Amino acid sequence: MNDQPMNDQRMNDELIKDNEKELVNVLQQAVRPVNHELRRDLWPAMLRRLDEHPREQPWIAALFSSATVRAVPWFDWALFAGLIVGASVFPSSIPIWLYNF
Amino acid sequence: MKPHPYLRAYMAGVTVPSMMLLVVLSGFLIARYSFHVPIPIERAIIFPMALVPNIFGLWNILYLWLRPRPHLPIGYHGAILPFILAPCGFLLASCLGFLAATSRGLLWFGQIQLPYHVFAIGFCFGLIAYYLVWKYLVGFFNDVLGIA
Repeated sequence: MNDQPMNDQRMNDELIKDNEKELVNVLQQAVRPVNHELRRDLWPAMLRRLDEHPREQPWIAALFSSATVRAVPWFDWALFAGLIVGASVFPSSIPIWLYNF
Repeated sequence: MKPHPYLRAYMAGVTVPSMMLLVVLSGFLIARYSFHVPIPIERAIIFPMALVPNIFGLWNILYLWLRPRPHLPIGYHGAILPFILAPCGFLLASCLGFLAATSRGLLWFGQIQLPYHVFAIGFCFGLIAYYLVWKYLVGFFNDVLGIA
């Protein structure tokens, strides 16, 4: 009569161990092992990204950069030259221009 | 999307005339002390120092507000501004006593006689100046502040 509960307990423990083993197997298949080593060097990629976004130049340099000056059409240069000529022909009008700016 | 676009538009508009104020003040000082033009600097500086920058800022806000609607390019938008600024400036100058309309033309600072036809030509040059300033300077600052 005393052996029957002990047998039940042993069977129960074995069943639990089997379940745990099965759970461990399922988890090992589902979760990939962590790779502590990087697969490649990330620094060259970082340098490439830095080159793609060069440091912004100061606004005053951007305003008078050669690219900006080259982008001005000839017609606007002609207008600018006209302003210089106008101020030269009528220098007395310069204070009035200054007043209205 | 950066916040407060109208505030940035105002700042971009105010920047150019504020920087130009150094040139304006220097020009007034040179005209007064080197060429002995009797410019009342303390009164003449009110318009370019107090009104013009604010009107530039508000005009740039208007440009930004018009952007989703049918609108002119920024150069032409700026070239309209002298039609508002010039009457304001002349009115203020008359009230402050350094502009008088005579039969021979406008008398500035009690010394500079500007015939009306020269004034008309000068106004056209002013339109050109505003066109260039708005197209290249205000447009540039709009671009810098992310509202171009």
